[in-house]
Amino acid sequence: MTAVLIVALLTGAILFGIGVYGALSQTNLVMIMMGVELMLAGAMVNLVAFWRFLHPKSYSGQMFVLVVMTVMAVEMAVGFGVAIARFRAIGSVEMEEAEDLKG
Amino acid sequence: MGAQAFFLAVFGLAAIGFGVAVFRTSSMVRSALALLFSQTAVGCMFLVMQTEFLGVLQIMMMATEMSIMAIFMVMFMMDPGGLGGMDMTHQKRFSIGAGVVAAGAAIAVALLADWGPVTVQAPAAAMQTRELGHELLGRSMLIFETAGVTILTAMIAATAVAIPVQRLADNGDKEVSE
Amino acid sequence: MTVAIVLLTLFGSAWLLAVIEGWTVTGRLQPAAPLLSGLAHLGRESIVPRSPDRVFFEAAPVLLLVVAVLGAAVLPLAPDLVIADLGTGALFINAALAYVLVALIMAGWGPNGAYAMIGGWRFLGQLIAYSMLIVMPITAVAMRAESLVNTAIVGSQADLWNIVYQPLGFVLFYIAAMALAFRSPFDLPTAEGELAGGVDAEYTGVRLAVLRLARLTLVVTLAAATTVFYLGGWHGPLLPPWAWSLIKTLAVAVSMLLAGGYLPRIREADLMRWCWTLGIPLALLNIVIVGLLILVVP
Repeated sequence: MTAVLIVALLTGAILFGIGVYGALSQTNLVMIMMGVELMLAGAMVNLVAFWRFLHPKSYSGQMFVLVVMTVMAVEMAVGFGVAIARFRAIGSVEMEEAEDLKG
Repeated sequence: MGAQAFFLAVFGLAAIGFGVAVFRTSSMVRSALALLFSQTAVGCMFLVMQTEFLGVLQIMMMATEMSIMAIFMVMFMMDPGGLGGMDMTHQKRFSIGAGVVAAGAAIAVALLADWGPVTVQAPAAAMQTRELGHELLGRSMLIFETAGVTILTAMIAATAVAIPVQRLADNGDKEVSE
Repeated sequence: MTVAIVLLTLFGSAWLLAVIEGWTVTGRLQPAAPLLSGLAHLGRESIVPRSPDRVFFEAAPVLLLVVAVLGAAVLPLAPDLVIADLGTGALFINAALAYVLVALIMAGWGPNGAYAMIGGWRFLGQLIAYSMLIVMPITAVAMRAESLVNTAIVGSQADLWNIVYQPLGFVLFYIAAMALAFRSPFDLPTAEGELAGGVDAEYTGVRLAVLRLARLTLVVTLAAATTVFYLGGWHGPLLPPWAWSLIKTLAVAVSMLLAGGYLPRIREADLMRWCWTLGIPLALLNIVIVGLLILVVP
């Protein structure tokens, strides 16, 4: 029984790790956002596993997952708005060319 | 239990496989759609863990969101087809290290912690939806309303940032800055 | 057993729809025509464009067919004739229909052709808009039934069909269903005269046969969804329940087919503007009206 929980937690951990790699190694804003999406997906897997296997009576767990899904959608919307504005300003959304945004 | 563990492992491997494919392929649309199928696998994991509403919601939302990501990749990337063979990464060793550390820490916690008794039975799907609705509009009403207002603010902010700035030229005509 | 019956009904209705479509186009009623043309497609040369994205090119027609079948899997033909009566059936249809978008993006990007690509990306805007427009009437329907289970939704219409209770919702759902199935006048992705076939353009042979079958099946699935949500599903006098479901589904599918024949194709700018500025506010108004009706009328 605990094996199922461990499988889910391991998946969440590995997804999170891949997301961290993606968010840190990519130079393009959209790819970085993909890394963040993977991180949030890993977190959601863990949350659902905890709800299902440890506290199935308390629906705050599912509420938290809904909030994380909302955050994913909102972050994508605002991120793409910023990407459009940036692309319109200098013609690329690469992080390597974003020195002027520093500080 | 055995079947659940098996399907969870299958969908988990699918999610991880597609997740790795996101960053290994050089075609941008393939990258976005690989992320889509990774999220779908995560949604299927939710279904296997008997949270039907969350699973269906995840599958539905991620299809649309990742398709939007696909078109933005095509709009903004230099080489959306991926046939040019460019390497679009930086600080590779640091990020691999960070990824391994993050995953390793989470795995260590998962394996070493004592999680207590694991519940075998889950509530029925219809009852879950009902209880989630009660939770959403009862105890967590403040969270629900805040999320709603946050979404509205994000919509307005994203639209405001994305529309082109309109300046007045010297002779009073509106001109759009490109 | 149930699976076999439902799938047989689904593909049989798709075949009937193809026969009627052939009848409206050519004026001749040829029952064998769809089967023969399908077999002819299988015999034709299967041309693959130069340097396609092979994974997408192959997967798109299959995904479209899988989506249509999955959508039909949660729709009940009779109280006990449903493949999977999910606890969140009404939402699952929307989830399955979102993958029509994925299939068309794959079909648009895969063949490495300009017209296909334009068709695919056009459909992105169309489906995102009309996906929102289809889920809001479903919300109003679920509000009346106080459940997301499809059999419960049909059960709640035992005395009064939803088309009478929520006419605004029915109109919006109908239009959104036509837009999701990319039937004319919403057939931007496969615009025949304009994009030289658009998404369909680069497919030949067996893949085109699967794509065409998938399109027809998708229309049947959406017609079945309209029946379940708004036309009272299997309720009706005299005939057995599954017969009523079938009649209503075919009536809706044929009406979708014919309605498109008389209207010009809508431009994508107008299409999306009507949805976001007119359709979504009306859908929200529908939810408010239905909510008031449920709370006030006993």
